[in-house]
Amino acid sequence: MMNTWALCALWVGLALAATLLAIWFKISTALSEIVVGTVAQLVIGAFMAQGGLLGNTQWITFLAGTGAIVLTFLAGAELDPVIFRTKWREASVIGLAGFFGPFLGCTAVAHFVLHWAIMPSWLCGVALSTTSVAVVYAVMLELGFNVTEYGKSILAACFINDLGTVIALGLIFSPFTIKTLIFIVVSAAVFAILPFLTPWFFRKYGGRVSELEAKYILFLLFAMGGLAMWAGSEAVLPAYMIGMVLAGTVGKDHSLIRRLRTLTFGLLTPFYFIRAGSFVSVPALMAAPATLLILFLAKSLCKAATVYPAVRVHKYDGSSGAYYTLMMSTGLTFGTISALFGLNHGIITQAQYSYLVGTVIASAVIPTVIANSLFLPRHLLPHAVTSKKSEPPMQQSNAAGEV
Amino acid sequence: MGSTVFVGFQRILVAFDASPHAEHALNVALSMAGDMKSKLFVVAVIRPPEPAESAEFNAVLEDGRERYERSFIPIREIARQKEIELETDIVVGHPAEQILHRADVIQASLIVLGKRSHTILHRWMLGSNSERVLKYAHCPVMIVH
Repeated sequence: MMNTWALCALWVGLALAATLLAIWFKISTALSEIVVGTVAQLVIGAFMAQGGLLGNTQWITFLAGTGAIVLTFLAGAELDPVIFRTKWREASVIGLAGFFGPFLGCTAVAHFVLHWAIMPSWLCGVALSTTSVAVVYAVMLELGFNVTEYGKSILAACFINDLGTVIALGLIFSPFTIKTLIFIVVSAAVFAILPFLTPWFFRKYGGRVSELEAKYILFLLFAMGGLAMWAGSEAVLPAYMIGMVLAGTVGKDHSLIRRLRTLTFGLLTPFYFIRAGSFVSVPALMAAPATLLILFLAKSLCKAATVYPAVRVHKYDGSSGAYYTLMMSTGLTFGTISALFGLNHGIITQAQYSYLVGTVIASAVIPTVIANSLFLPRHLLPHAVTSKKSEPPMQQSNAAGEV
Repeated sequence: MGSTVFVGFQRILVAFDASPHAEHALNVALSMAGDMKSKLFVVAVIRPPEPAESAEFNAVLEDGRERYERSFIPIREIARQKEIELETDIVVGHPAEQILHRADVIQASLIVLGKRSHTILHRWMLGSNSERVLKYAHCPVMIVH
């Protein structure tokens, strides 16, 4: 049995290796950490130490859980309330379509095609219903659509899509009791007060070296996470909602967000993503690769069935439409959070978890590769660039839509 | 058969990533722009990690934006001293695509790039931006070693 510091050094060493790989191959650190976690668990578990990375050690579970909560909060804080207020109807329709299509479709495929029990099937639907705001936003920045009305609507729709995932995760798998009702009522009150209380509190006591702001945010996330767990829900649900309601205040404080990112990327998320990767069973994936293929096709086709029509309505040509659709089929963070929730709560088996995480990774990587290899060359050609419709100026903007 | 007179490159686009190679290319372009009285466009590309993940993506954007804005300050000063008309841009995406896109939008008459020495593995996995620009550019491309 490794001592705490040796085990910590092993995990941080793996995080360092994953970061180097991410830099060399220009992939996201999250993806690199998941893959490193999977490979390290396989190698260390097989040849070096029994139990491998010991991902269920209590302090690792705590750090990983905190990483998921803070990451979810930061994702919610990227919402632009101004755009959301003006586009909420359109965004809600597209976002809910983008959520319900794969949610119901993948649930049906898991249950009727793969013959999974009903609860694992629902979890499959939740895990594969996600989209990635960041991926869609990156594509919009590349093509210059981020400043168009359509682009803003799609971005707001992505938040609704992920909100659907988080709510489903938080409410489907727990019985509706008096505790659930208390959780909903208290959450509603807290979410209503926070946008007013937080700026006042920060103005009065913030801006000191004691990092009061970070402690305040962490207190809120842990307290509401604790309440959610007590009610049988999931801590990431209030974290995402707190991020969204504070997006107009805390989300604009770049210095605070940067400090939280340092904490998140430097310490917390490596534990979360490496742990998520360490539970992936490579033998299970190799035993039934068709399952992976079926789930991947189910997610991609269901997303395409709901996203592509929305894209076509706005008269974008075939390749641009396909590019968007492929990009909106991704979703690494919420996909792994949902799958890990299922594994931790005994809803799914390790093999099912492995298929879901494998599908989530495949859906994050394959659409990007296909889009870049099949559609990027057309964008590279000058005639394709010049003929691109509604060419807005390439401007700098952050996820909040500031230009 | 009439002969065309070369009047110099009127609109020079330099791809800039703040590396020593790019700085070298920029110095060459500044010198050319000064001699030929050309307008100089400097484009810096922030390449997001793939697949982009929310918090990391925004961190990459902010970091890139700040880094390039800092790098542009001395460039603007040199251009002002040499009386060169200068335009700077920070864009997001695949470097080769964005350089070509920018060249097309501004109707560049020359693209100047610094040559980075990549390993064979890197070139095989990710490709070389200068090779892609060279292949698809609508105008002459100068690669500065």
